Amino acid sequence: MKPELQQTPLPTLPKRRVSFASSPYFVYVLVAPLFLVLLAYVVYPLFQTFVASVQVDGRLSFENYREFFSLEHSSNLEALWTSIYISVLSVITCGIVGVSLAFLLERYEFPGRKILSVLALVPMALPPLIGVLSFTFLYGESGIIPRALKELFQLEQVPFSLKGVWGVLVVHTFTMYTYFFMTASAAIKGLDPSLEEAAANLGANRLTIWRRVILPMLTPSIVASSLLVFMIAMASYTAPLVFGIDRTMTMQVYLSRTNGSLDMAATQSTILSVVSILFLLLMRWYQGARNYQNMSKGISVHRTEVKSKTGKYVAMVLSFIAMVILLLPILVLVLISFSVDGTWTVQILPPEYTVSHYLELFTDSQTWRPVVNSFKLSAIATAGIVVFGVAAAYAMVRLPFRGKTLLDVLIMVPWALPGTVVAINLITAFSEPTIFSFQQVLIGTFWMIPLAYFVRHLPLVFRSTSATLLQMDRSVEEAARNLGASWWYSFRRVVLPMALSGVLAGTLLALVQCIGEFVASILIFTTKTIPLSVAVYQRMYSFEFGTACAYGVLQILLIILVLFVTKRFIGDKNGPVI
Amino acid sequence: MKKAKWIHGLFAGSLSLLLAACGGGGEAQPTANQASPQGEQTSAEPAQPAEGSKSLVIYTARDKNIFEIVLPKFKEKYPDIEVETLEMGAQQILERVRAEKANPQADFWWGGTQSALSTAAKEGLLESYKPTFADKIPAEYKDPQDRWYGEMLLPEVIMYNPQALKPEEVPKDWDDLIDPKYKDKIVIRGVLPSGTMRTIYGAMIYRQDPNDPQKGYEWLKKLDANTKEYTQDPTNLYLKLDRQEGAISLWNLQDILLQSKKNNHPFDFVYPASGAPILVDGVGIVKGAKNMDAAQKFYEFLFSPEIAAQLAKERFQFPSRTDISKDDLPDFMKNLELKPLELDWDVMAEKDKEWMEYWDQNIKGKGAQ
Repeated sequence: MKPELQQTPLPTLPKRRVSFASSPYFVYVLVAPLFLVLLAYVVYPLFQTFVASVQVDGRLSFENYREFFSLEHSSNLEALWTSIYISVLSVITCGIVGVSLAFLLERYEFPGRKILSVLALVPMALPPLIGVLSFTFLYGESGIIPRALKELFQLEQVPFSLKGVWGVLVVHTFTMYTYFFMTASAAIKGLDPSLEEAAANLGANRLTIWRRVILPMLTPSIVASSLLVFMIAMASYTAPLVFGIDRTMTMQVYLSRTNGSLDMAATQSTILSVVSILFLLLMRWYQGARNYQNMSKGISVHRTEVKSKTGKYVAMVLSFIAMVILLLPILVLVLISFSVDGTWTVQILPPEYTVSHYLELFTDSQTWRPVVNSFKLSAIATAGIVVFGVAAAYAMVRLPFRGKTLLDVLIMVPWALPGTVVAINLITAFSEPTIFSFQQVLIGTFWMIPLAYFVRHLPLVFRSTSATLLQMDRSVEEAARNLGASWWYSFRRVVLPMALSGVLAGTLLALVQCIGEFVASILIFTTKTIPLSVAVYQRMYSFEFGTACAYGVLQILLIILVLFVTKRFIGDKNGPVI
Repeated sequence: MKKAKWIHGLFAGSLSLLLAACGGGGEAQPTANQASPQGEQTSAEPAQPAEGSKSLVIYTARDKNIFEIVLPKFKEKYPDIEVETLEMGAQQILERVRAEKANPQADFWWGGTQSALSTAAKEGLLESYKPTFADKIPAEYKDPQDRWYGEMLLPEVIMYNPQALKPEEVPKDWDDLIDPKYKDKIVIRGVLPSGTMRTIYGAMIYRQDPNDPQKGYEWLKKLDANTKEYTQDPTNLYLKLDRQEGAISLWNLQDILLQSKKNNHPFDFVYPASGAPILVDGVGIVKGAKNMDAAQKFYEFLFSPEIAAQLAKERFQFPSRTDISKDDLPDFMKNLELKPLELDWDVMAEKDKEWMEYWDQNIKGKGAQ
């Protein structure tokens, strides 16, 4: 970095900027666009939802809220309770799995580590709709494993099946631990091992080091992912339904809308957002109560090698088991994609196989279009998310201004709402020309889907970036500025490279989520922009499971390709930064 | 649903305040990095209007098997109309049409349950249009204000998997279903989100005593005791029957036939001896449709005797029109007497919410206790 730093003392313009940038108002100029965009795409639609919830027959009334909390019809309260406890439990299980896996893979060297560290991201690639189904095909009552066990031990009944809350938790953990895993990995990369060594030298044992050094240092990333997981679990719809838990908030919203009681649906959505906002505030308070900044000098993490022979074998066996668990749901999809539709009934494995689903996929240009569409739509959305998310995270962590909590809440809210509600908000807001859409009607156009993806997945980049920034000591940036670097220059050459791992983690999550997004897409797609997830749904709907799964497999392969490419990309980038 | 003006005013006020607050220090020029993504997000292409040739946007919940027959024929007859179909579930169509109310994107709604269509009609989402065949459709299968018309009849019957049940084990009538020997053999599509299931359950209550639902509740409690699982959607219902997690369900006749004959499912049906609730599945023109003329053409075309007869023959669809000649119908339809269960649809609609809420809170999952 030295050569660039020498270039910086430049003529008058940068100096003017520096003086201007030091004015206390400058920060509001920086954050104004953030607030504006949020106002247009989040506050305005959300506000309309709230308005709908307090209007009964054209009058202002809190009747709906009273009804929600009345003990006479307890179904709403029951739903609220179920949603909250499933979400809290999901956060805990995902946290344990995600953080320990991240630590294991970042800190230890053992046979199978490399392949496991790629496979650990695979659950992210599991398409939401058929992903859950693949669990029931695997562990459900008529699933492969229970049936195989029954056959093997000649049992009367299947020995176990995935059901109820346990089923939901298993699926949530499997699909959501990646949030913890990715942000925690990013944080551990930036963690200075000398701190642990110092603690060890001072006589702390392993447990104390974990409790007093490592976990506190990981606080921002754990808080970030807890939020993401809590909110997405609150908004989860398919998983509870598949396992027979149908008294959840999302289901209540759905039912109210089916019944035509739109005001009640709005009330339920509002309450759902309020719960998530409260959780967010709680997390902010917790984060604020701790200090976790790292005077990292860019020390590379050295991995401890597992040396003993037994240790090696144990590690090998365990990572093999982990790999199998991670891959099984995907293998099931592959299996179904090769089986003849409708033939797999009481057998353990599908009895008849065919390649026709893939032939159709690769010969029919109609079948290819959704794949291209999805990537195009998601790429546009992700580009927007990165620019906006990084800017917002930077403003949030580094700039002193009023309204930080508000900004935080505004960015996170769309993540906490069911996709249907977000989509409906957007359609309502943009079905007529407004100033926010430059007097354009957006529905029915190409731009509606990227916009929905943008609003919905913005929190991913925002959270992961701000978590890495929080972990970084700001004096590094100050040093650059003192040496004469302009704000933009130091942002580009100092802040961004140091936060890169967090930014990339969020970007990947966002891209993958965009590609898999279904609930909002189905309400806003047009014939020209059918995304992959909608195509999968349509195939499932007409009971072409084979083709649906072939689509799913293709989607997984493409996502794994993206993961692989980025992994290489990070690998190359990391070197020079450190 | 009128929105109060004052709230908008309040919002606009707070908006401008916020804008002012955000813009304090306005004379400063922002540095280059704050390229906001706005431009990218919103420099929208113009919406595609009908240019030159006419177009028609259809939201459909129909099975692919069905629109693959109808659409090519329509294209043949009206080559200048460009048809776009968007496949969705019936519920999603309602959501979309509702959300797009201010600026409708769809012209024609093809395939909606009576409850979804009535809800939409009540919310003012459907256009009133009296087709030429209006008087050929019995009053109970259409909207009195012509906002929707039933396209086909759906008798709700007992469905079973013949691979899992011997012929002598199959229940013959509704009351057989609550026999304890069928315990854990019945799988039901989740009741509350499904218009079809709600109607069947409502009919079961009505059948016992429309004035005192208690008896009906007792009956449903016994049914719940025999019910192993409620599935989230039809796809999962079919899967569970295929894979013999259950053997019996309640479902509509056309789907049973379609799934077994076209999609290889091992399904068969029993027409309940005491009669079946006959539901109707219909269509409507979306209010404010941009291609009204094309939508009307499609309406007439879809209900034409030729298409109705072809769908009856090839897709087991019971036409709602009464003037289709018996000779044009397939044999099984000729021989099957559609014996309706005597129901008062007004009472059913009125009580639906109350009965279903009671069922959901007090019966579902509690029958076995």
